[in-house]
Amino acid sequence: MDVVAADRAQFAFTIAFHYLFPIGTIGLAPFVAWYTWKAVRRPEDGVSARAARFWTKIFTINFAIGVVSGIPMEFQFGTNWAIFSDRTGAVIGQPLAMESVFAFFLESIFLGVLLYRRNAEPTKFQAVAAAFVWLGSWLSGFFIVATNAWMQHPVGFYIGPGGKIVLESIAAVLLSSYAWWQFAHVLCGALLAGGFVVAGVGAYYLLSRRDEAAARSFVRAGTIVAATFSLLAIFPTGDKNGDDVTRAQPVKLAAMEGLYESTPGAPLAIVGMPDSQNMRLIDPIYVPSLLSFLAYGNFHAEVKGLRDYGRDLWPPVALTYYAYHVMVGLGTIFVAVGVVAAALLFWGDRLFGTRAVLWVLMLMLPFPYIANEAGWMTAEVGRQPWIVYDVMRTAAGISPNVASGEVLFTLIGFAGVYFLLGTLFVYLVLHEIAAGPA
Amino acid sequence: MTADGALAVAGFVVIASGVAAYVLLDGYDLGVAAVSLWIGKTDRERATAMDAIGPFWNGNEVWLVAAGASLFAIFPRAYAASFSGFYLPFTIVLWLLMARGIALELRGHFPSDLWHQFWDAAFSISSTLLIFVFGLALGNLLRGLPLDAFGYFQGTFAFLLNPYALLIGGFAIAALANHGTLFLWMRTSGDLERASRALAGGLYWAVAALYVAASAGTFAVRGTPPPVFAVAMTAVSVAALAGMRVAWRRGSAALAFGASAAFTASLLVGAAASMFPYLLPGYPLGSGGLSIFDAAPSATSLICALSVSVVGGIAVVAYGSVVAGKMAGKAGVE
Repeated sequence: MDVVAADRAQFAFTIAFHYLFPIGTIGLAPFVAWYTWKAVRRPEDGVSARAARFWTKIFTINFAIGVVSGIPMEFQFGTNWAIFSDRTGAVIGQPLAMESVFAFFLESIFLGVLLYRRNAEPTKFQAVAAAFVWLGSWLSGFFIVATNAWMQHPVGFYIGPGGKIVLESIAAVLLSSYAWWQFAHVLCGALLAGGFVVAGVGAYYLLSRRDEAAARSFVRAGTIVAATFSLLAIFPTGDKNGDDVTRAQPVKLAAMEGLYESTPGAPLAIVGMPDSQNMRLIDPIYVPSLLSFLAYGNFHAEVKGLRDYGRDLWPPVALTYYAYHVMVGLGTIFVAVGVVAAALLFWGDRLFGTRAVLWVLMLMLPFPYIANEAGWMTAEVGRQPWIVYDVMRTAAGISPNVASGEVLFTLIGFAGVYFLLGTLFVYLVLHEIAAGPA
Repeated sequence: MTADGALAVAGFVVIASGVAAYVLLDGYDLGVAAVSLWIGKTDRERATAMDAIGPFWNGNEVWLVAAGASLFAIFPRAYAASFSGFYLPFTIVLWLLMARGIALELRGHFPSDLWHQFWDAAFSISSTLLIFVFGLALGNLLRGLPLDAFGYFQGTFAFLLNPYALLIGGFAIAALANHGTLFLWMRTSGDLERASRALAGGLYWAVAALYVAASAGTFAVRGTPPPVFAVAMTAVSVAALAGMRVAWRRGSAALAFGASAAFTASLLVGAAASMFPYLLPGYPLGSGGLSIFDAAPSATSLICALSVSVVGGIAVVAYGSVVAGKMAGKAGVE
């Protein structure tokens, strides 16, 4: 295996695994905080304290696997991407340092409080701790996304002697609108996942006719969050991310849409399989002129196709295309399910008796995770061949003194360790769900 | 000294402080793990030992991540050179960190003796190995490393396993096992409290003997007489070591733990002072190395990173202490 491919495979594999857990913590933290706060405010309702304990347990398992799979991400910048780290550390080291100093500490130290008090009656201090855990998990997400956004759309720097990337303005890096819209979209993805998880677990209890009081609360809270953030994921955040890609990364846009030829009034491909050898989509179904409208707000605008760019500027087309279509397809389904479930909920709680929709909510559970992964892949695979867009190529960033054999060894090791971690995670979460919010 | 030079020196102090905070804090929970199999005779006692560090270990471990991220921001060249230069050792550290983190978090989720026994062993073995690897790393930093012109490590894995570094690895295990045992003594009650105190009494002599051996080894390896600062630190180390014994005899767990922290801190400050200004000293010593002045980025980056680390670090110490105060008391007492 070529060493660049080995380094990329290892980063892709470890980040894809790790990303599942921040989705859980970012999406569930508000539920933990909300139930804890309710349990302190109205201890007599009986449900909130149990709900808080239950979701704290699920959150903790998520957090533990998130932490242990997250530390390798920071290490890998140095171990596998030394030239990249050396050249860009002056910039991306900043948000990464802020993440650990301002966010990770907050989340970890206050989660200690929740763990310490996990079997006791909730107190005000615990509610405050839960709020800080929530704040920490979101801040952490922001700094990580800001780091990635800089790699997608670098700002606030200049190129100094010896090709070193020199920080000009940290404010420009942190306040970049690219970063904020990307963060907003990532938050929507995590929150709709959290909402569907809470609703799905509630639906499972309702369908099994157990823990009814807690189950109704889960379905209610989960459905409202899932429906709201499914909508916000598409508009305005998804739309704004699309605009940013159109402006800053037109090649990625062409790959996402499988558009090979530059076309005025470009159609949007709903389905179809990209064939880069013959530069066409196989068996497409098109909506005429829609892509031009979505990209430029004008049905007649020309959208540039892949053919207009050198092949050495293309990202892997098929993977970008499929990842993007999976994300958008699932996102559309989330809106449909979320809106129907919310409508039944607000129509005099009819949702609790509509078993067909409860079944759908329960079976929905893995799909938000797939959609989040697909979205992240669209952003990252579509960024290739750049590690810092238009500034530094991915192949130029690897560690010069680490051989492909070494990377292969650690990649196989990670695969084994993560297989174990993943199995343990599923087993323990199912165990907690079976035990229920007692 | 120029303004940029002063910033680089400040950066060195920040990184060294971060590493020291990590060793002092995660050091006690690693140490508890190292002795947990010996000290906890029953399932319940081992659970209590884990409970004693349960609310703290995660926050403690963040100091490692924060020190690493600060190194990335403050000295990118050193971060790149050291992490990629020690590819396999860093990967091993990662896997060990994963094993112990998972053991701590998952043990309690399932009520089965075999499940508990498995994680107890994984927890203790991985933590002990971690301490050993950290000690090995420190030993090699003090001894110097063969580096190329860019500061990348040129030696082999076998080069790192020299007698001096192995000695420091062993010393680290003794010192942190003692540190952790004193913490357990402070945080537990009943049989576990008595067992911790007894074990600390024995471990003390191992720490003292290895301290003498490690000091002798350091003189042998580093050759040149140490700077005045290092001599002063030796005085502090010896005083802290004596104080630890006095506190132990008087039965004051908190004082003994404090003395152990002072002892460990003095060793780390001494080590940092003798490495200065190198982040990765060359081998043989005196042949240069990767210094803070080679590795520092522009002043804008340094000022940003230093402000983040200092402001953030102070805030963490402040709210961390408040939280720790709220959770003070003995573990396992309901």
